[in-house]
Amino acid sequence: MVDILATPFLWVVATIAVYGVAYWGYGKWIDRNVWRSDAKKATPAHMYMDGVEYFPVSRYVLWGYQFKSVAALGPILGPFIGITFGWLPALLWIIGGNFFIGWLQDYGSMMLSVRKEGRSFGPITYEFTGARGRTNLLAFVLFYLIIISAAFIALIATFWNTFSGTFVATLGILLAGLLCGQLLYRMKMNVFAVTGIGLGLVVLSIYLGVQIPITLPWGVWNLPIWGLICAVILYAAAVLPTPMFVQPTNYLAFYPAYAAIILLLVGALATPFTNIPVSMPSGPFLFDPQGILGPIWPILFVAIACGAISGWHSLVSSSSSSKQLDVETDALPVGGGAMLSEGLLALASLIAYMVLLPKDFVGRTNVGAWVFGAVKLTTPFLGSLTAAVLTTFFGLVLIIYALTVQALVTRFFRLVAGETWGEGRFRALGNKHVSSVVGLAIPWGFAVSGSWWALWLYFGGANQLLAGLAIMLITIHLARVRAPSRYSLIPGVFMVVTTLAALVWQTGTFLFSLWAYLQNDKTWVLRNVRGPIQTDPNLLIIAVAINAVFVIVGAVLFFVGVSMAIRLFRSYNQSIADARAKAPAAADGGTVEKGSP
Amino acid sequence: MADSKDPAKAKSRGRKVKEGVKGVFYGMAAHGHVTAALRTRMYLEHLFMFITLGDMLGVPVIPPYYSLKILPYAVPNIKSWKQRVFRERDFTDQVF
Repeated sequence: MVDILATPFLWVVATIAVYGVAYWGYGKWIDRNVWRSDAKKATPAHMYMDGVEYFPVSRYVLWGYQFKSVAALGPILGPFIGITFGWLPALLWIIGGNFFIGWLQDYGSMMLSVRKEGRSFGPITYEFTGARGRTNLLAFVLFYLIIISAAFIALIATFWNTFSGTFVATLGILLAGLLCGQLLYRMKMNVFAVTGIGLGLVVLSIYLGVQIPITLPWGVWNLPIWGLICAVILYAAAVLPTPMFVQPTNYLAFYPAYAAIILLLVGALATPFTNIPVSMPSGPFLFDPQGILGPIWPILFVAIACGAISGWHSLVSSSSSSKQLDVETDALPVGGGAMLSEGLLALASLIAYMVLLPKDFVGRTNVGAWVFGAVKLTTPFLGSLTAAVLTTFFGLVLIIYALTVQALVTRFFRLVAGETWGEGRFRALGNKHVSSVVGLAIPWGFAVSGSWWALWLYFGGANQLLAGLAIMLITIHLARVRAPSRYSLIPGVFMVVTTLAALVWQTGTFLFSLWAYLQNDKTWVLRNVRGPIQTDPNLLIIAVAINAVFVIVGAVLFFVGVSMAIRLFRSYNQSIADARAKAPAAADGGTVEKGSP
Repeated sequence: MADSKDPAKAKSRGRKVKEGVKGVFYGMAAHGHVTAALRTRMYLEHLFMFITLGDMLGVPVIPPYYSLKILPYAVPNIKSWKQRVFRERDFTDQVF
């Protein structure tokens, strides 16, 4: 047996223990003393039960649904950038961020929605900040969706390009999904039989992927072409009826995706027996040693989003889960529990990076490093499977995580575009085909031109800012009902300030690149783009334009975020002032409010 | 999840664990798809109700003769239809 201190094993155990304290200690305390959840209070699921959107669901079912909805590519790839500053700060952020902020946001969003009769964040923002606040949120979400789409299309294209067996395997799963949809809904076949056939086809797809590796022959143009193929698939997913394509594909994709999580966790826990030591430096490095990303604060805190804290979760918690909560006391296991579990997924992914060598991270381009780490962790007990099979399998898992979430994001963009431009001069943009094309063409443009890490940091910045704004909504509600609000106010302020700082840093980086170009130093503008623009001297002007566009994107995100934050802080101050004015006088035993006769 | 056939009988710990695991698995694999299917059916039912009761709302879609023929099937759904149609909806409701 290897020296146990040299393996990640103890870190896994320590993180599980801290998360246990977060749930059974801090979580229960907040639940009891701040939100005062009451199992006897009727939840929206009972009050407005319609059997479609509002209906009570067992906490186990809802936990599974919530976890599946929030756990995707974020906790897997965030640590890849986070480990730049050493694995220790990344680990501490996964532990501390989730302990003090992450679960609090997911759980708080769910409770807020439950207490507001199942309403989602749009109407709640309207109530707290007025019509302009909601419009602000709408604009922010549109930008956010474009940035997510750009990051995910870039990643899917990169994965197909890096792991040659994965494209055929992905195609196999998509076709299997189409077939299963037909068998299930047209032929009315039994769901277990369809699942059996589907799983057989998934295994066959992986086998075919290994047997038929596909490498495009166009060099630097490979990524744009892979990105285009991805966009075409996503277009079909956005416009076809969900039971025909998205639903059965996501259902089939669930099995390999979750098998991979279990394998990774087992691999991380088994390191003392498999003799796999930590090989990456622990840090902390206050600046990215490679000089690409910048300072540890604020970059680390936006690089690792899901797993520590993520704004996307607040939308999930308040849109569907809150409408199906059986009793209020279920909010902690469902919202908080699912988020802490996602932290474990981020931890397992971080460990997959920790066991690799520093040379695997040079230039931040080896975005598939997770696959190599996962193969390294699991090979000792899956020895009968070859490295080629495992590489294809874990590569496929990365792709289906990104593709299934991105299919939903594209559909959501289409719906938001319909809401925004459904009427008026730009109503053509509300058309489902036009909005889907726009919602994919712009991200594709970003994906094939900008560096994926730059996109990821913008995505992280927007996502974390949404989290900060969600926590501020929670804080305003708590202040209005005169519950202790400091436990969410401090994390909310931290997240808003940190993410705005990250957006300033990112925007400043692109601005500096343009300034350097004007000083005849083109290395900076070229650093922020990818091939073929990076390598072809004739395309230099496009590189400059892309840097300028990134400045605009960053500036818009920053100003929309600031505007939203100002509205929320004003609303919070007003709520505090109102609460103080109505505070019970001390002498009357707390029954008579100030100002009342 | 379906309740035990005999609610009076105390569930053993093993059975609770089994139900929990089944629930989690169902929640992860299928619950989202089931609710999405229910939502699709809801929109189709809205359409059906609108076509059936359109002339009563001032929007004559089909001749009243057929409306009256279908009315007995539509009446039981009017309450839940009204409840769903009048509910405040927002783009943030459509994340999942």
